Amino acid sequence: MRLYFLALGTLLIVCVGCASDGTRLLQNDDYHAPPAEMMQRPGPMVGGPGPGVLQQVSHQVPGPRGPMSPVGMRGPGGPYACPNPAMIPMGPPRGPMVMATSQVRFLGPEGMHVGWQIGPAFAENQLMAPGRYNFRQAATYRLKLTDIPGREGLVVYPSLHVYPTLPMTAAYLEHNALPLRITDEDLDQVETNNFVTKVIYLPDAKYQELAIAGVEELVSTRLLPGQDPVSEADRRGTIMAVIRMGNMDLEMPGQSGGIQKASHIQTVDGEQDQHVPPMPIGSHIGIGRGGVPADLMVGGPSAPGQPPYNPIAGVGGVPMYGYPSVGTPIGLPGPPHIPLGRPAGLKSHTMRNTTDYDMGKPVDHLLIDVRHEPGLSMPQPVKYMQYTEKHPSYSSGDLSIPAWAQP
Amino acid sequence: MIRRTSTLTMAILLSTLLLASIATAQDRYFPLNHRQPTGTAGRWSVLTHPQKYGYVQPIEVQLPSAGNVTFYQGSPKNAVQTSAPSQAGMMVGHSYRIRISEMPEYPGVELYPTIEILDRLHPPTQQAQSFPIPIEITEAEIEIVMQDRMVTKVVYLEQPDIAAPFEQGKRIRTENLPVTANLLQAADERGRPMAIIRIGGRIPDPTSLIDAFYSTSPLVIPPR
Repeated sequence: MRLYFLALGTLLIVCVGCASDGTRLLQNDDYHAPPAEMMQRPGPMVGGPGPGVLQQVSHQVPGPRGPMSPVGMRGPGGPYACPNPAMIPMGPPRGPMVMATSQVRFLGPEGMHVGWQIGPAFAENQLMAPGRYNFRQAATYRLKLTDIPGREGLVVYPSLHVYPTLPMTAAYLEHNALPLRITDEDLDQVETNNFVTKVIYLPDAKYQELAIAGVEELVSTRLLPGQDPVSEADRRGTIMAVIRMGNMDLEMPGQSGGIQKASHIQTVDGEQDQHVPPMPIGSHIGIGRGGVPADLMVGGPSAPGQPPYNPIAGVGGVPMYGYPSVGTPIGLPGPPHIPLGRPAGLKSHTMRNTTDYDMGKPVDHLLIDVRHEPGLSMPQPVKYMQYTEKHPSYSSGDLSIPAWAQP
Repeated sequence: MIRRTSTLTMAILLSTLLLASIATAQDRYFPLNHRQPTGTAGRWSVLTHPQKYGYVQPIEVQLPSAGNVTFYQGSPKNAVQTSAPSQAGMMVGHSYRIRISEMPEYPGVELYPTIEILDRLHPPTQQAQSFPIPIEITEAEIEIVMQDRMVTKVVYLEQPDIAAPFEQGKRIRTENLPVTANLLQAADERGRPMAIIRIGGRIPDPTSLIDAFYSTSPLVIPPR
């Protein structure tokens, strides 16, 4: 019997412990909505027509109803008139507004000129800080910062990576510009041969430091050594833009790999009222949201003289895999095979590769486990309702103030 | 006998604890919140209540003192500029971009808030224009936006039996909630959410006349 009570007591302690630390024994009381991407489907977590899917309402706009009916144009007793009947949509409103651009606001240093790369040249002086520009998303641009006040002769060529809109950042990007300020500290770091990475991100609510929603900024030079600002920002929220700055000169004369000023390339200068939109130096279109490659990987030739993108061996000018272009299969020049002024007599040429080789066996079946943390959990469908109306009754002089409205 | 009683007591206690752990689940669940992309809540509203679709709900935009309110009918080419306070009819479920400008307190400042209509009012017959949804933009909100921050407001219709027993002044009573709060849930607990207003500092692209920045939702402007 003593053993029985001991077991019962143990079970009781376990139950109390499970209930007190927030993890219920039989059921967790927290609900977790699916990711925001899934919420944009026609129905909650449903991607297509079928039972239980919220269907599109009728394609007929209801008839005149109320004094502001767009169909009747002038409803019974209302002064409103719809200026353009053709604008009345058929069916329910479309999905959320989608902005394909992010507005970057260059706050300072005030007076700094901002240019950007347009293919083989730079468009100079396209903006003067403070100024703003709408950059197409999912692309990386090369900027050119000149005429920085207090730093004569300094030209910086940062890259600006504009991330695509995600459901978490959509509302913010529709209404706000991304504030980007190049500080004196950043420029000092660049001039002392340091590399500066600045990440602009929208923090999750639990990491929001201020009382009002807004972006926050992480700079590599203000983090501890070894901390990556991009991964740190990704942990705290959703990244919207990353700017990377160093002191590399991309317009050194006579150097290969940079951008050369050639006579046939037209120069563009904003001070002469010439404005050209920036051309991305790296596009992330085709890469799915979150950096996951799209369903179908395709390769093909890029610009003439340029290496192909997503190269596939043997396609689009890419050399066939397995054809060595040197004399030996491991990339070292082999012995002369060609007769050099004497009769060919070589009968046998043997090479043995004695490199240690342990690359593992090829994979024949791949298993990937994916998991949401926390898991998806929705309330059970309603199968019983009880409706009770309670009408407050107060006697003369009584005043009822709800707790949330207490002055 | 004593042993049997204590065993029974322990069993009852254990059962109570187990039941308590199961029953203390959330009473309401709100899959939507104000941080989701503009238009999501409005779309869900008309998909779940199709009878609301097609109703044009009057709204009235009020500025701190005076100024201009510009409504867009699909593109900046069809802009209709009015003087605040301005009334317009907006279709339930749709989102609208407006411009506020020429405010004497903020010379040169132009803001482009959006208004997402979630629900409709049920005014007395033929008096809809006398009961618009008030969209009030205050000085404090404009100050916040000018600091590169974003303001999101949810306008709701008070539930009569839990309405705040204060006489409404010239301005609507506004409650500031912590940034972690779900505004749609808070509004739903206090009444019926009617509209979401989002205000930020982004301005349209001057080089693009077909900027997706502007809304294409149907709009009804009353004749002046």
